[in-house]
Formats: sequence, C-alpha cells, structure tokens
Amino acid sequence: MAKKNLDLAPSKKDKFGMGQVILGICLLIFTLFALAPVWLTFISAFADELSITQNGFSFWPKAWSMDGISTVFKYGKKLYQSYLVTIFVTVAGTFLGLLFMSMYAYSISRKDFRLSRFLSIFVLIPMLFNGGQLSGYLVFCGWYDLKNSLLLLILPLCVTTMNVIILRTFIANSIPQELMEAAKIDGAGEYRTFFQITLPLLKPSLAAVGFMMATSYWNDWQNAMLYIDAKSESKHPLQLLLVNIQKNIEFLLNNNNVPPSARAAMGNVIPQYSATMATVLVVIGPIMVVYPFFQKYFIKGLTVGSVKG
Amino acid sequence: MKSFLKNTWKHRAHVIMAMPAFLVLFFIMYVPMTGLIIAFKDYKPMLGIFGSNWAGFDNFKFLIASKNIFKTMTVNTLMYYFIFTSIGTLLNVTLAIAIDQFIFKKCAKVMQTIMIIPVFISYAAVQFIVYGFLASEQGLINVTFGTTTKFYSEAALWPVILTIVKIWKDTGYGSVLYMSVLAGIDTELYEAADIDGANKWQKILHITIPSLVPMITVMLLLSVGSIMKSDTGLFYQVTRNGGGLYPTTQVIDSYVLNQIVKSSDFGRVGAASFFQSVIGLLLMLIANGLVRKIEPDDALF
Repeated sequence: MAKKNLDLAPSKKDKFGMGQVILGICLLIFTLFALAPVWLTFISAFADELSITQNGFSFWPKAWSMDGISTVFKYGKKLYQSYLVTIFVTVAGTFLGLLFMSMYAYSISRKDFRLSRFLSIFVLIPMLFNGGQLSGYLVFCGWYDLKNSLLLLILPLCVTTMNVIILRTFIANSIPQELMEAAKIDGAGEYRTFFQITLPLLKPSLAAVGFMMATSYWNDWQNAMLYIDAKSESKHPLQLLLVNIQKNIEFLLNNNNVPPSARAAMGNVIPQYSATMATVLVVIGPIMVVYPFFQKYFIKGLTVGSVKG
Repeated sequence: MKSFLKNTWKHRAHVIMAMPAFLVLFFIMYVPMTGLIIAFKDYKPMLGIFGSNWAGFDNFKFLIASKNIFKTMTVNTLMYYFIFTSIGTLLNVTLAIAIDQFIFKKCAKVMQTIMIIPVFISYAAVQFIVYGFLASEQGLINVTFGTTTKFYSEAALWPVILTIVKIWKDTGYGSVLYMSVLAGIDTELYEAADIDGANKWQKILHITIPSLVPMITVMLLLSVGSIMKSDTGLFYQVTRNGGGLYPTTQVIDSYVLNQIVKSSDFGRVGAASFFQSVIGLLLMLIANGLVRKIEPDDALF
C-alpha cells in the first residue's frame, strides 16, 4: 500500500468520481459568483452609453465604445495627482508598517526578554478597546493639528494588532531559534541578526502581510474622507475621486475642457454609467494586475497562532 | 526589580526595535482613548475636549431618548454581526475544505485566485458595481427579470443584499487562513485513518474539522472584540448612504461617520462611541472568560 502511494500525498489520492464532479460544479458556481460583478465592471466600462441607458447593464453589451475610458483620461492632471498620492501613501505606509511591525514582532518573540510580556499585551489592547472614529477625529485634527496631512492617511493603518500577530506567529513557527543563536555566536549584533538573518527568512509573511496592507492603503476612502478637505485637491487619493465621482463627471462634461464638437461626437450623451465603471476600473486595476504575483505567499505567510505569545 | 532592569538593559536593542511601532500605537490608538470622555462633556469645539463643561449623563439620556435612532442602530449592528459571523465562518471553512478536497489542484488554484479578487475592491468602488445590478431602470437584475423593483428605497431587502455583498467580497479570502491550517495537517493522520478503513466523510469529520477548531475559536474570539463595530464601507457606501434605508442599514459606525461629516452634536455621538467601545470590551472579556473555562489553550489572554 505504501509503495503504491509513494509519489502522492495520502490525502490527495482520492479517485475521480461522482463526488468530485459535484464538488467541481459547486466550486465553479462560486467562482462565477465571485467573477460576475468584476466582469460586469470591465464590460460596462467599454460599453456604449446608449446601450446601457436603453437596454440596461449586461454581461455582453449590444454596442461597444471607448467613450467611458476616454472620459476618464479627461480627468488629466487630477487623475495623475490622485495616482501619485495613492501610490505614495501605499508605498510609504506599507514599507514603514512592515519595518515597524516586523521589528516589534521580532522583539516580543525573544524568549528571555522580560518586557516582551508587557509589549504583547500593549499591542493586543487596541483590538479589544479603542477610542473609535470620533475620538480619533478630534484628537488627530484637534490635538495633533494634522488635518489635511498625508500622515493621517499613513499612520492609522500602519501598525495593526492582527498583522503583528501574524508576523510573530511566523517568526515563532517557521524561523529556527538556533539560526539566530548561531549568528550571535559568530559575532553578529542584535541588529545585524535581525536584518540579515531574520528579515530574509520572514519573506513569505512579509509578502502576504505587505500585500494586504498595500491593499488597505490603496482602498482607504474613510480616512481620506474624514481628514482631507474637499478643497485640497492635490492631496486627494484615488478613492476620493470615486467618492466624488458624480460631481467629477458632471464637472468634466460641463467644463470647457470638452469642446462642443467632442460632445456632439458623443451624441450629446453624457457617458455617465460607462465613465463611472471606467473610473472604477482605473482605480481597482493596478491591484488586480499585481495580485497574482503575491498570491503564492498567502497560504504560507498568513497563519495566526497563539495570540498570547 | 533589579534583575528586571538588568534584563531590559541586556535587551536594549530589542527595546529600541520595538520603539517605532510602540510610539505609533501610543499616539494613534492609545491617546484617542482619552477622547472618549467627550461622552460626558457638553462639547464645544472652541473649548476642546478637556475645556468643555461636564455634562454628566446628559448625552446618554439624549441618545436613549431618541429611541428610534439608538435602538435601530444597536439592533442592526448586532444583527449584522451575527449574520456575517455565522454565515461567514461556515462558508470560509466549507470553502477551505472543498478546495482542499478537490483533486484537480491546478484548477482549484485558478478558482481560488478568482474567488479572492473581490476582497481587493474598495467599498467606494463596490457601491457602483452593486448599483449596476440594482439600479431601478438600468440595473442588471431588473432588466433580466423584467421587474422594476426600486431596490434603493426598499429597506426590507437590504439585510439580504448586504449579506450577499459581504459573502461575495470576503469568502474567498476568508478561506485562506483556514487553508493554511489544512496545509499543516500531518498526513500520517490520514494514512492511519485509511488503514483503519475510514471513508471520506469520516476523515473530514474526525480529522479535518477538529484540526480547524482552534483557528475557528481564535477567529471568533478576535471578532467578538469588534462586535459593536461594522464594516463601515458596506453600510455607508454600498447603501449609497440612503436615508430611506437607515431602518435596516444604519449601524453605529455609519451613524458616527455621518455625524462627523455633518459635524453635528459631538457630545451625543461621543455617547454612542463610548457605548460602542465599552460594550465591545465587556463582550470580549465575557467571551474570553468562557473560552478559558472550556479550553484554556484557545483563550486569547
């Protein structure tokens, strides 16, 4: 028996049968359920506006058009600015967050470090009890006087309890303690041990956590809405562009930027639906493109172990 | 004490490494906790949080006196927590096991990749996608079925709609954590079960599911802490913040957000915030206490 299964993991040796067919169909249905709305967005961005207003949204429009997409590019400088803000916040936040949290996780997982017990509890408490949105708003804007500062888009999402727990779990389970001790015997200092031994081994977890962080930065509309004024447009991230989209599209189309001839070419139809979907596509697109490269780290890197440490 | 200081000095490098995250947590999470006292203040923006006069429990009285708002948002918050947590956990675990059991690994991988995608779409964007389905004239659902349901003014439908949106968005990613546990199950357990003549279902029931229980407990416990908090975007953005839908969609978080944006009476909002934070903490402590009694290893603290 053992001989027969040498090259197969035992749990995976099941034969193909009716059960597998049913399982496959169920999984396929759920996959389509997950995909359909994304597909609708993509298709509608390239659908002809008239075919949407007359026949409604569909998975396959009667007529195609680039009007939606070309409207998006009329945002011009505004879109470019928003991209810059979002990219800056995402990169800076993810980098700082990963650095801060992995150092923290590493420190609290040192065995004979007596302060680590306190530090573990310190990071856990905010998950159990915190000031909530209103206190945050009053303290950040009133006491710190940071309204309209990009710092408020970066710091609130920078260090999270869950991510520290994930990183610490990975350090405790997947990085042999002996390696760190060996490095010390060879004369490496604490910092060198961390940056040259631990950090490289932490890569799967950093990739997974980092990608999830980057996504939450990229998708953050709430902090932007609370902390960035409508007037300081040069600091608007992409998500605010979406939140204010209705206003933006109307502005664009009533604006002199669009010559009458161009508007006539659109048949005087405001490409509202297709332009909205095209904007959505422009905002979510970059994540979709990057995501497959990080997916392989998800299962390896995202494990939650004991919270107590 | 002396040995403690000595130990800390010996580990000074670790203290320094922990410092940046410590400071961020202190200023971003801990300092705002003091802001909760606004619930007991007659808040005037000019005077600030500490400068404003004490108001005793007036804010709470106001809040509770506005019965409809307060009761509705508390009930909604709890209702959605229970719906999302129960259905969510069930689906996450089921999906993880289903993908693990499927023998065509390449195919399962591709399907999983697609299923995770929705988690990366912000609610600011989701709202337009949902609108594509639900708009009264152009919406896909009305067009397909030839109906003219005005979804955005039918409050009764929204618990179902929001649940479907939540399932769509979070299930694929939610299963990943459980899959990482499944990947770690010792294959010898399955081999032993094979030798004992166990069938597929017996193996799932007696090996797979029990090995997921600790993770399920941890995830449930962690979620209890945020029982009074909600996925604000789901309730604020996806519903397009429509007032007509508030009876079934207003939760504490979306209420607070609305009030901040309108910069209305912060004292009363503070009372709602305080209520949210304190009840959340109490429930968490109770839940953890219960778990510690039953299975000390799975408790959070």
